[in-house]
Amino acid sequence: MTPRRLLGSIAAHGLALGLALGTGLTPAAAHHSFSMFDPAKPLQFEATIQSFQWTAPHAVLWVQAGQVGAYGPGLWSLELPTSPANLAKMGWSRNVVKPGDKVVVSINPIRDGRRAGQFKKLTIVASGHVLEALNIPGQTQQPPK
Amino acid sequence: MSRAPLFALALALALAAPAFAAPADDPITPAPTAKDWQALAQRPDWSGSWFPVISDQFAQVTSNPVPWKPEVQKQIDHWDAEEKAGRPRGLLLDCLPHGVPSFYLITHNSIEILQTPGRVTILGESDGNRLVRIWTDGRKAPADPDPSFHGYNIGTWQADTLAVSTTAILPQTWLAVSEAVGIAIGEGAHVEQKFHLIGPDTLAVDLTITAPAVLTKPWETRRLFTRKRARSYEIVEGVCRQGDFEETTDQWGNPAWSPLAQSADGNVLAPPAK
Repeated sequence: MTPRRLLGSIAAHGLALGLALGTGLTPAAAHHSFSMFDPAKPLQFEATIQSFQWTAPHAVLWVQAGQVGAYGPGLWSLELPTSPANLAKMGWSRNVVKPGDKVVVSINPIRDGRRAGQFKKLTIVASGHVLEALNIPGQTQQPPK
Repeated sequence: MSRAPLFALALALALAAPAFAAPADDPITPAPTAKDWQALAQRPDWSGSWFPVISDQFAQVTSNPVPWKPEVQKQIDHWDAEEKAGRPRGLLLDCLPHGVPSFYLITHNSIEILQTPGRVTILGESDGNRLVRIWTDGRKAPADPDPSFHGYNIGTWQADTLAVSTTAILPQTWLAVSEAVGIAIGEGAHVEQKFHLIGPDTLAVDLTITAPAVLTKPWETRRLFTRKRARSYEIVEGVCRQGDFEETTDQWGNPAWSPLAQSADGNVLAPPAK
Protein backbone atom coordinates (compact mmCIF):
# COMPACT_ATOMS: atom_id res chain seq x y z
CA MET A 1 0.00 0.00 0.00
CA THR A 2 1.38 3.39 -0.97
CA PRO A 3 1.57 6.08 1.68
CA ARG A 4 -1.23 7.97 -0.07
CA ARG A 5 -3.47 4.91 -0.13
CA LEU A 6 -2.55 4.16 3.45
CA LEU A 7 -3.62 7.61 4.58
CA GLY A 8 -6.80 7.23 2.57
CA SER A 9 -7.47 3.95 4.28
CA ILE A 10 -6.95 5.51 7.66
CA ALA A 11 -9.24 8.42 6.84
CA ALA A 12 -11.85 5.95 5.66
CA HIS A 13 -11.74 4.31 9.03
CA GLY A 14 -12.19 7.59 10.81
CA LEU A 15 -8.75 7.53 12.32
CA ALA A 16 -6.89 10.68 13.24
CA LEU A 17 -3.38 9.44 12.93
CA GLY A 18 -2.24 11.81 10.23
CA LEU A 19 -0.04 13.86 12.49
CA ALA A 20 1.48 10.80 14.05
CA LEU A 21 2.41 8.99 10.87
CA GLY A 22 5.91 9.14 9.57
CA THR A 23 7.34 11.28 12.32
CA GLY A 24 9.60 8.48 13.54
CA LEU A 25 9.35 9.80 17.08
CA THR A 26 9.50 7.66 20.14
CA PRO A 27 6.17 7.44 21.91
CA ALA A 28 5.89 9.07 25.28
CA ALA A 29 5.14 6.24 27.61
CA ALA A 30 3.10 6.90 30.68
CA HIS A 31 3.44 4.95 33.91
CA HIS A 32 6.85 3.52 33.15
CA SER A 33 9.81 3.91 30.88
CA PHE A 34 9.96 1.66 27.84
CA SER A 35 13.72 1.16 27.87
CA MET A 36 13.27 -2.50 28.86
CA PHE A 37 12.39 -3.02 25.20
CA ASP A 38 15.16 -3.21 22.63
CA PRO A 39 14.68 -0.86 19.68
CA ALA A 40 17.81 -2.29 18.06
CA LYS A 41 16.13 -5.67 17.49
CA PRO A 42 12.73 -4.89 15.98
CA LEU A 43 10.56 -7.84 15.01
CA GLN A 44 7.74 -8.21 12.54
CA PHE A 45 5.63 -11.34 12.43
CA GLU A 46 2.20 -12.75 11.66
CA ALA A 47 -0.07 -13.41 14.59
CA THR A 48 -3.66 -13.96 15.65
CA ILE A 49 -5.38 -11.64 18.08
CA GLN A 50 -6.26 -13.42 21.30
CA SER A 51 -7.52 -10.36 23.19
CA PHE A 52 -7.09 -6.62 23.47
CA GLN A 53 -6.73 -5.49 27.07
CA TRP A 54 -8.15 -1.95 27.01
CA THR A 55 -6.97 -0.85 30.45
CA ALA A 56 -5.11 1.99 32.13
CA PRO A 57 -2.31 2.76 32.50
CA HIS A 58 -1.26 0.87 29.33
CA ALA A 59 -3.38 -1.13 26.92
CA VAL A 60 -2.01 -4.56 26.05
CA LEU A 61 -2.50 -6.59 22.91
CA TRP A 62 -2.28 -10.38 23.42
CA VAL A 63 -1.50 -12.33 20.26
CA GLN A 64 -0.71 -15.94 19.39
CA ALA A 65 2.14 -16.54 16.99
CA GLY A 66 4.04 -19.46 15.54
CA GLN A 67 7.82 -19.70 15.53
CA VAL A 68 9.34 -16.19 15.38
CA GLY A 69 13.08 -16.45 14.87
CA ALA A 70 14.41 -18.09 18.03
CA TYR A 71 11.12 -17.62 19.86
CA GLY A 72 8.95 -20.68 20.13
CA PRO A 73 5.25 -20.62 19.21
CA GLY A 74 2.95 -19.16 21.84
CA LEU A 75 1.33 -16.16 23.43
CA TRP A 76 2.88 -12.69 23.19
CA SER A 77 2.03 -9.64 25.29
CA LEU A 78 2.48 -6.45 23.31
CA GLU A 79 2.31 -3.34 25.44
CA LEU A 80 0.99 -0.12 23.95
CA PRO A 81 2.69 3.10 24.96
CA THR A 82 -0.16 4.67 26.85
CA SER A 83 -3.66 4.50 28.29
CA PRO A 84 -6.99 3.95 26.56
CA ALA A 85 -7.77 7.62 27.16
CA ASN A 86 -4.75 8.74 25.16
CA LEU A 87 -5.07 5.96 22.58
CA ALA A 88 -8.62 7.14 21.90
CA LYS A 89 -7.15 10.51 20.93
CA MET A 90 -5.01 8.64 18.40
CA GLY A 91 -7.96 6.93 16.76
CA TRP A 92 -7.96 3.68 18.72
CA SER A 93 -10.89 2.07 20.47
CA ARG A 94 -11.42 -1.17 22.33
CA ASN A 95 -13.01 -2.59 19.18
CA VAL A 96 -10.29 -1.84 16.62
CA VAL A 97 -9.31 -5.49 16.65
CA LYS A 98 -11.24 -8.57 17.64
CA PRO A 99 -10.20 -12.04 18.73
CA GLY A 100 -9.27 -14.20 15.79
CA ASP A 101 -8.14 -11.33 13.56
CA LYS A 102 -5.07 -12.25 11.56
CA VAL A 103 -2.52 -9.47 11.84
CA VAL A 104 1.07 -8.58 11.11
CA VAL A 105 2.65 -6.88 14.11
CA SER A 106 5.81 -4.84 14.47
CA ILE A 107 7.35 -4.69 17.92
CA ASN A 108 10.48 -3.98 19.92
CA PRO A 109 11.05 -7.16 21.97
CA ILE A 110 11.66 -7.10 25.70
CA ARG A 111 15.30 -7.68 26.56
CA ASP A 112 14.75 -10.65 28.90
CA GLY A 113 13.86 -13.05 26.09
CA ARG A 114 10.19 -13.57 26.90
CA ARG A 115 7.50 -13.30 24.27
CA ALA A 116 6.73 -9.71 25.12
CA GLY A 117 7.32 -6.43 23.42
CA GLN A 118 6.55 -2.82 22.86
CA PHE A 119 3.82 -2.49 20.27
CA LYS A 120 4.80 -0.42 17.26
CA LYS A 121 2.33 -1.18 14.49
CA LEU A 122 -0.12 -3.75 13.20
CA THR A 123 -1.80 -4.45 9.91
CA ILE A 124 -5.08 -6.36 9.84
CA VAL A 125 -4.52 -8.83 7.03
CA ALA A 126 -8.12 -9.02 5.82
CA SER A 127 -8.63 -5.28 5.47
CA GLY A 128 -5.16 -3.84 5.17
CA HIS A 129 -6.11 -1.53 8.02
CA VAL A 130 -2.99 -0.17 9.74
CA LEU A 131 -2.83 0.86 13.38
CA GLU A 132 0.09 2.64 14.99
CA ALA A 133 0.70 4.33 18.31
CA LEU A 134 3.50 6.75 17.67
CA ASN A 135 2.71 9.94 19.51
CA ILE A 136 0.19 11.15 21.96
CA PRO A 137 -1.20 14.27 20.28
CA GLY A 138 0.44 17.27 21.86
CA GLN A 139 3.64 15.47 22.68
CA THR A 140 5.59 17.32 20.05
CA GLN A 141 3.74 20.57 20.28
CA GLN A 142 6.01 23.50 20.78
CA PRO A 143 5.24 26.01 23.49
CA PRO A 144 4.04 29.44 22.41
CA LYS A 145 6.78 31.98 21.88
CA MET B 1 -23.45 -6.71 91.48
CA SER B 2 -26.34 -7.53 89.17
CA ARG B 3 -26.15 -6.86 85.43
CA ALA B 4 -28.53 -3.88 85.51
CA PRO B 5 -26.30 -1.55 87.60
CA LEU B 6 -23.28 -2.55 85.48
CA PHE B 7 -25.16 -1.62 82.33
CA ALA B 8 -26.24 1.70 83.82
CA LEU B 9 -22.65 2.46 84.83
CA ALA B 10 -21.36 1.66 81.34
CA LEU B 11 -24.06 3.81 79.77
CA ALA B 12 -23.27 6.73 82.06
CA LEU B 13 -19.54 6.51 81.26
CA ALA B 14 -20.26 6.37 77.54
CA LEU B 15 -22.48 9.44 77.66
CA ALA B 16 -20.14 11.39 79.90
CA ALA B 17 -16.96 10.82 77.95
CA PRO B 18 -17.56 9.89 74.32
CA ALA B 19 -14.54 8.19 72.87
CA PHE B 20 -14.61 10.20 69.60
CA ALA B 21 -15.51 13.82 70.20
CA ALA B 22 -15.56 16.39 67.40
CA PRO B 23 -12.32 18.38 67.26
CA ALA B 24 -12.32 21.57 69.29
CA ASP B 25 -11.50 23.71 66.25
CA ASP B 26 -13.79 22.50 63.50
CA PRO B 27 -15.06 25.56 61.61
CA ILE B 28 -18.23 25.28 59.61
CA THR B 29 -18.01 26.11 55.90
CA PRO B 30 -21.10 28.19 55.16
CA ALA B 31 -23.32 27.41 52.20
CA PRO B 32 -22.33 29.53 49.19
CA THR B 33 -24.53 32.49 48.40
CA ALA B 34 -25.72 33.64 44.99
CA LYS B 35 -23.03 36.31 45.18
CA ASP B 36 -20.39 33.65 45.71
CA TRP B 37 -21.52 31.82 42.58
CA GLN B 38 -21.69 35.07 40.59
CA ALA B 39 -18.14 35.92 41.65
CA LEU B 40 -16.91 32.86 39.77
CA ALA B 41 -17.96 34.52 36.52
CA GLN B 42 -15.23 37.12 37.09
CA ARG B 43 -12.51 34.45 37.20
CA PRO B 44 -10.60 33.40 34.09
CA ASP B 45 -12.27 30.69 32.05
CA TRP B 46 -10.32 27.50 32.61
CA SER B 47 -13.03 25.15 31.40
CA GLY B 48 -12.28 22.28 29.05
CA SER B 49 -9.57 19.67 29.41
CA TRP B 50 -5.91 20.61 29.69
CA PHE B 51 -3.41 18.33 28.02
CA PRO B 52 0.26 18.55 29.04
CA VAL B 53 2.84 19.71 26.51
CA ILE B 54 4.92 16.59 27.00
CA SER B 55 7.83 17.53 24.76
CA ASP B 56 8.29 20.69 26.78
CA GLN B 57 8.46 18.67 30.00
CA PHE B 58 11.65 17.07 28.71
CA ALA B 59 12.94 20.37 27.29
CA GLN B 60 12.47 22.09 30.62
CA VAL B 61 14.56 19.53 32.47
CA THR B 62 17.29 19.71 29.83
CA SER B 63 17.45 23.48 29.62
CA ASN B 64 16.86 24.14 33.30
CA PRO B 65 18.32 21.22 35.26
CA VAL B 66 17.18 20.35 38.74
CA PRO B 67 19.65 21.71 41.36
CA TRP B 68 20.18 18.34 43.02
CA LYS B 69 22.52 18.14 45.98
CA PRO B 70 25.78 16.45 44.93
CA GLU B 71 25.02 13.24 46.81
CA VAL B 72 21.53 13.14 45.27
CA GLN B 73 22.93 13.85 41.82
CA LYS B 74 24.89 10.58 42.11
CA GLN B 75 21.65 8.68 42.67
CA ILE B 76 19.97 10.48 39.79
CA ASP B 77 22.93 9.65 37.53
CA HIS B 78 22.65 6.02 38.60
CA TRP B 79 18.95 5.75 37.72
CA ASP B 80 19.55 7.66 34.50
CA ALA B 81 22.25 5.15 33.54
CA GLU B 82 20.02 2.25 34.50
CA GLU B 83 17.28 3.49 32.21
CA LYS B 84 19.70 4.03 29.34
CA ALA B 85 20.97 0.48 29.89
CA GLY B 86 17.46 -0.93 29.48
CA ARG B 87 16.79 -1.44 33.17
CA PRO B 88 14.37 1.39 33.97
CA ARG B 89 13.26 1.99 37.51
CA GLY B 90 9.48 2.15 37.58
CA LEU B 91 8.69 5.03 39.91
CA LEU B 92 4.95 4.67 39.41
CA LEU B 93 4.53 0.91 39.11
CA ASP B 94 2.92 0.67 42.53
CA CYS B 95 0.08 2.86 41.24
CA LEU B 96 0.48 5.31 44.10
CA PRO B 97 -0.15 8.89 42.97
CA HIS B 98 2.49 11.04 41.28
CA GLY B 99 1.71 13.58 44.01
CA VAL B 100 2.71 17.24 44.01
CA PRO B 101 4.88 18.37 42.28
CA SER B 102 5.30 15.39 39.88
CA PHE B 103 1.58 15.50 39.10
CA TYR B 104 2.41 18.67 37.16
CA LEU B 105 6.00 17.87 36.18
CA ILE B 106 5.65 14.57 34.33
CA THR B 107 1.99 13.73 33.76
CA HIS B 108 1.06 12.54 30.28
CA ASN B 109 -2.68 12.78 30.71
CA SER B 110 -5.36 15.45 30.74
CA ILE B 111 -6.40 17.44 33.78
CA GLU B 112 -9.62 19.32 34.40
CA ILE B 113 -9.98 22.36 36.64
CA LEU B 114 -13.25 22.94 38.45
CA GLN B 115 -14.05 26.25 40.09
CA THR B 116 -16.68 26.38 42.79
CA PRO B 117 -17.07 28.77 45.72
CA GLY B 118 -14.20 28.51 48.16
CA ARG B 119 -12.13 26.01 46.27
CA VAL B 120 -10.51 25.03 43.00
CA THR B 121 -10.50 21.31 42.29
CA ILE B 122 -8.15 19.66 39.83
CA LEU B 123 -9.14 16.29 38.49
CA GLY B 124 -6.40 14.24 36.93
CA GLU B 125 -6.53 11.19 34.74
CA SER B 126 -2.89 10.35 35.28
CA ASP B 127 -2.19 6.66 35.85
CA GLY B 128 -5.37 6.59 37.86
CA ASN B 129 -7.91 9.29 38.61
CA ARG B 130 -6.57 11.93 40.98
CA LEU B 131 -7.92 14.80 43.03
CA VAL B 132 -6.15 18.00 44.08
CA ARG B 133 -8.18 20.28 46.31
CA ILE B 134 -7.04 23.91 46.50
CA TRP B 135 -8.75 25.96 49.19
CA THR B 136 -9.50 29.56 48.20
CA ASP B 137 -11.80 30.44 51.09
CA GLY B 138 -9.22 32.38 53.01
CA ARG B 139 -8.27 29.66 55.43
CA LYS B 140 -4.75 29.01 56.58
CA ALA B 141 -3.14 25.59 56.40
CA PRO B 142 -3.72 23.64 59.61
CA ALA B 143 -0.87 23.70 62.10
CA ASP B 144 -0.26 19.98 61.73
CA PRO B 145 -2.10 18.56 58.74
CA ASP B 146 -1.86 14.90 57.84
CA PRO B 147 0.80 14.60 55.13
CA SER B 148 -0.57 13.46 51.78
CA PHE B 149 0.60 12.89 48.22
CA HIS B 150 -0.91 16.14 46.99
CA GLY B 151 -0.34 18.04 50.22
CA TYR B 152 -2.45 20.77 51.76
CA ASN B 153 -3.13 23.41 49.13
CA ILE B 154 -3.97 27.02 49.91
CA GLY B 155 -4.86 29.18 46.92
CA THR B 156 -5.15 32.93 46.54
CA TRP B 157 -6.26 34.83 43.48
CA GLN B 158 -3.84 37.51 42.30
CA ALA B 159 -5.78 39.12 39.45
CA ASP B 160 -6.15 36.28 36.92
CA THR B 161 -3.41 34.16 38.49
CA LEU B 162 -4.11 31.46 41.02
CA ALA B 163 -1.19 31.27 43.45
CA VAL B 164 -1.04 28.01 45.36
CA SER B 165 1.09 27.06 48.32
CA THR B 166 1.43 23.34 48.96
CA THR B 167 2.75 21.95 52.22
CA ALA B 168 2.37 18.69 54.13
CA ILE B 169 3.61 16.59 51.23
CA LEU B 170 4.46 12.99 52.12
CA PRO B 171 8.26 12.74 52.11
CA GLN B 172 8.09 9.60 49.94
CA THR B 173 6.43 11.57 47.12
CA TRP B 174 8.57 11.62 44.00
CA LEU B 175 10.38 14.66 42.74
CA ALA B 176 10.65 13.16 39.29
CA VAL B 177 12.09 14.20 35.94
CA SER B 178 10.70 11.11 34.20
CA GLU B 179 8.89 7.90 35.05
CA ALA B 180 12.23 6.21 35.62
CA VAL B 181 14.30 8.96 37.24
CA GLY B 182 13.45 10.80 40.42
CA ILE B 183 14.04 10.94 44.13
CA ALA B 184 11.78 11.09 47.18
CA ILE B 185 11.13 14.75 47.90
CA GLY B 186 11.94 14.35 51.60
CA GLU B 187 10.90 16.21 54.71
CA GLY B 188 10.00 19.88 54.73
CA ALA B 189 9.11 20.28 51.07
CA HIS B 190 7.09 23.25 49.96
CA VAL B 191 5.79 23.78 46.43
CA GLU B 192 4.45 27.08 45.15
CA GLN B 193 2.50 27.12 41.90
CA LYS B 194 1.15 29.97 39.84
CA PHE B 195 -1.55 28.97 37.37
CA HIS B 196 -2.20 31.51 34.65
CA LEU B 197 -3.10 31.71 30.98
CA ILE B 198 -0.31 32.76 28.62
CA GLY B 199 -2.48 32.33 25.54
CA PRO B 200 -6.15 31.74 24.83
CA ASP B 201 -5.71 28.00 25.20
CA THR B 202 -2.36 27.70 26.97
CA LEU B 203 -2.12 27.39 30.72
CA ALA B 204 1.23 27.87 32.42
CA VAL B 205 1.99 26.37 35.80
CA ASP B 206 5.04 28.11 37.22
CA LEU B 207 6.46 26.00 40.01
CA THR B 208 8.91 26.90 42.71
CA ILE B 209 9.93 23.68 44.40
CA THR B 210 11.66 23.93 47.74
CA ALA B 211 12.96 20.58 48.92
CA PRO B 212 15.77 21.07 51.44
CA ALA B 213 16.43 17.35 51.72
CA VAL B 214 17.47 16.98 48.08
CA LEU B 215 17.94 20.39 46.44
CA THR B 216 20.65 22.99 46.94
CA LYS B 217 18.16 25.76 46.19
CA PRO B 218 14.54 26.07 45.11
CA TRP B 219 13.95 24.83 41.57
CA GLU B 220 11.86 27.15 39.43
CA THR B 221 10.36 25.49 36.42
CA ARG B 222 7.35 25.86 34.14
CA ARG B 223 4.92 23.32 32.79
CA LEU B 224 2.43 23.99 30.02
CA PHE B 225 -1.01 22.60 29.33
CA THR B 226 -3.04 23.08 26.16
CA ARG B 227 -6.79 23.46 26.28
CA LYS B 228 -8.78 20.83 24.42
CA ARG B 229 -12.50 21.01 23.99
CA ALA B 230 -12.90 17.88 21.87
CA ARG B 231 -14.77 15.16 23.73
CA SER B 232 -11.94 12.72 23.08
CA TYR B 233 -9.86 14.75 25.55
CA GLU B 234 -12.37 14.65 28.37
CA ILE B 235 -10.85 12.82 31.27
CA VAL B 236 -12.20 9.34 31.71
CA GLU B 237 -12.06 6.71 34.38
CA GLY B 238 -8.50 5.51 34.79
CA VAL B 239 -7.96 2.74 37.29
CA CYS B 240 -4.24 2.19 37.49
CA ARG B 241 -4.36 -1.32 38.90
CA GLN B 242 -6.87 -2.55 36.36
CA GLY B 243 -3.93 -3.15 34.06
CA ASP B 244 -2.55 -5.63 36.56
CA PHE B 245 -5.42 -7.99 35.85
CA GLU B 246 -7.00 -9.76 32.92
CA GLU B 247 -10.63 -10.55 32.41
CA THR B 248 -11.67 -14.06 33.26
CA THR B 249 -14.55 -15.97 34.81
CA ASP B 250 -14.67 -17.60 38.21
CA GLN B 251 -15.61 -21.23 38.86
CA TRP B 252 -19.30 -20.36 38.67
CA GLY B 253 -18.97 -18.48 35.41
CA ASN B 254 -19.17 -14.97 36.87
CA PRO B 255 -17.07 -12.21 35.28
CA ALA B 256 -13.90 -11.81 37.35
CA TRP B 257 -10.33 -10.55 37.35
CA SER B 258 -7.21 -12.66 37.30
CA PRO B 259 -3.78 -11.23 38.20
CA LEU B 260 -1.30 -10.92 35.34
CA ALA B 261 2.32 -11.94 35.64
CA GLN B 262 4.63 -8.92 35.48
CA SER B 263 8.34 -8.44 35.32
CA ALA B 264 10.08 -6.29 37.90
CA ASP B 265 9.95 -3.35 35.53
CA GLY B 266 6.19 -3.58 35.20
CA ASN B 267 5.80 -5.20 31.83
CA VAL B 268 2.98 -7.71 31.64
CA LEU B 269 4.41 -11.03 30.64
CA ALA B 270 3.42 -13.88 28.45
CA PRO B 271 4.78 -17.29 29.52
CA PRO B 272 8.50 -17.96 28.93
CA ALA B 273 9.33 -18.34 25.26
CA LYS B 274 11.36 -21.51 25.59
